[in-house]
Amino acid sequence: MADYKAAPLASLPKTLDPNEYFNLSPEHRRAEEARAAVRANLKRQYQVQLNNPHRKELVDDPALTRWVYARANPYPHFRATKKTSLMGAMFGVFPLFFFYYVFKTDRDRKEEQIKAGTLVRKFNLTS
Amino acid sequence: MLMVLFPTVMLLPTIWLSPSTQLWTSALAYSVAIALISLSWLCFPMETGWSSVNTFIATDPLSTPLLVLTCWLLPLMILASQNHMAEEPINRQRTYISLLISLQIFLILAFGATEMIMFYIMFEATLIPTLIIITRWGNQTERLNAGVYFLFYTLAGSLPLLVALLLLQNSTGSLSFLTTQLFPPLQLHTEASKFWWAGCMLAFLVKMPLYGAHLWLPKAHVEAPIAGSMILAAVLLKLGGYGMMRIIIILDPLTKQLSYPFIILALWGVVMTGSICLRQTDLKSLIAYSSVSHMGLVAAGILIQTPWGFTGALILMIAHGLTSSALFCLANTNYERTHSRTMLLARGLQMVLPLLATWWFMFTLANLALPPLPNLMGELMIITSLFNWSNWTLLLTGAGTLITASYSLHMFLTTQRGPTTSPILAIEPTHTREHLLMTLHLLPLLLLIFKPTLIWGWAL
Repeated sequence: MADYKAAPLASLPKTLDPNEYFNLSPEHRRAEEARAAVRANLKRQYQVQLNNPHRKELVDDPALTRWVYARANPYPHFRATKKTSLMGAMFGVFPLFFFYYVFKTDRDRKEEQIKAGTLVRKFNLTS
Repeated sequence: MLMVLFPTVMLLPTIWLSPSTQLWTSALAYSVAIALISLSWLCFPMETGWSSVNTFIATDPLSTPLLVLTCWLLPLMILASQNHMAEEPINRQRTYISLLISLQIFLILAFGATEMIMFYIMFEATLIPTLIIITRWGNQTERLNAGVYFLFYTLAGSLPLLVALLLLQNSTGSLSFLTTQLFPPLQLHTEASKFWWAGCMLAFLVKMPLYGAHLWLPKAHVEAPIAGSMILAAVLLKLGGYGMMRIIIILDPLTKQLSYPFIILALWGVVMTGSICLRQTDLKSLIAYSSVSHMGLVAAGILIQTPWGFTGALILMIAHGLTSSALFCLANTNYERTHSRTMLLARGLQMVLPLLATWWFMFTLANLALPPLPNLMGELMIITSLFNWSNWTLLLTGAGTLITASYSLHMFLTTQRGPTTSPILAIEPTHTREHLLMTLHLLPLLLLIFKPTLIWGWAL
């Protein structure tokens, strides 16, 4: 595994270039070579699937599947922390009471004006 | 009325007795004929308001637009399901179409019902074919969860309605829409009357859906097959709006105090579900949350009980029905090609399917209420009447309009514009059937620009 060379679709990473890093231990070098081999294999698999002339469906990406599933199912991992409780209160509870107060006072004021006959209706919605 | 109901019922034996090569063609042809007959309901000659009256079913300017929308949607659903049902055995195809037709029959009876108990029974009856369509023909394992949420949310909301209707029958002796609008005001002064009011309204608010009880909708819409999504988005949500508009006439004057929490939930829901749309990764989920957003506006428009509010609500219901159904069909074209609903996987489609991009563009513009489409007319009337009701609602409705525009554009730009993902290039081109489907969605919307009085109900 010591002479790992660059391939057309898998470039040699900097950590494996002997001219760049001369103070790394041989174990570190071997670990880097193993990782580079895995990465190159994944790239090769993707390119084989991408350039297959008989392929009719999408290339399957398991990382994307995991990410989409995680975005769609946050509920089992929900924990009530200070931050999440604050967010829930700010966006879910407080606005309801705030707007109830705003609309109720505005409407009561308007209803009193209507009953007293003092409401000035400048624009008619229906003629 | 029977002119449309009998052919629809007779479609069921037609489906089961057609030879397998002519199944979809005959289903489509006959449902188009029924849809064209239903257009005859759109002339309202009667001064009393109710036309086509018989003892049990009648049409009036409120129910007619929804009835025509229902009848128009059946050929569109059959057209949309043709592709993904092609590999199934013939009897299962027949069962699927029979479920769609039975849904149609229940919906015609529901919108045409003159008696509230008949409306209630049909309201509940529509749940069963929809449940079967979602749980049997959906595509992911989550469809079972979705069916359960859908069934139990709606049932739990509507059982109090049964009790409320029976109480009403006991105290007034009649539940016919024709007579309840002429009743003297009900004596609703006790605490129990407030619970009765809530019982009447809750079923429809859950169905619409109102923001707090909307959890069933994204699940059901996403997991349903295309015909299920179309009928759910276009018509079943409007059952809730229609029921609310019918029953709110007799609930005065309690509505003036008791409707505040629901108006606030509806308006806050417009803003919140719009914001959730901006974060969605799943295309159908985005369209489902946009449905909740638009229906929040409809609910607020109905609850303030003004003529413009009712008119705007009805117009927005019809326009949103057509737009949302079309967007689900477009999402389905993506799904049939890539078998994935993730937005990130199918980007830059304008390079690959340019004609479909035109349809995406038009329906995105319809979704964000572009003038002169009826979507704008409905939204503007609701926003204006809400502003008249209380000036401060403009904060929420204005923010809602902005957010609607931004997520609609986000959806369009992500799916159509930008770099094409490289694995996308090997997908099949657009079928003529899909273009026909889009045209049939857009045509009523464009024609309604010229005569919106057809769909604006009896309030104006």
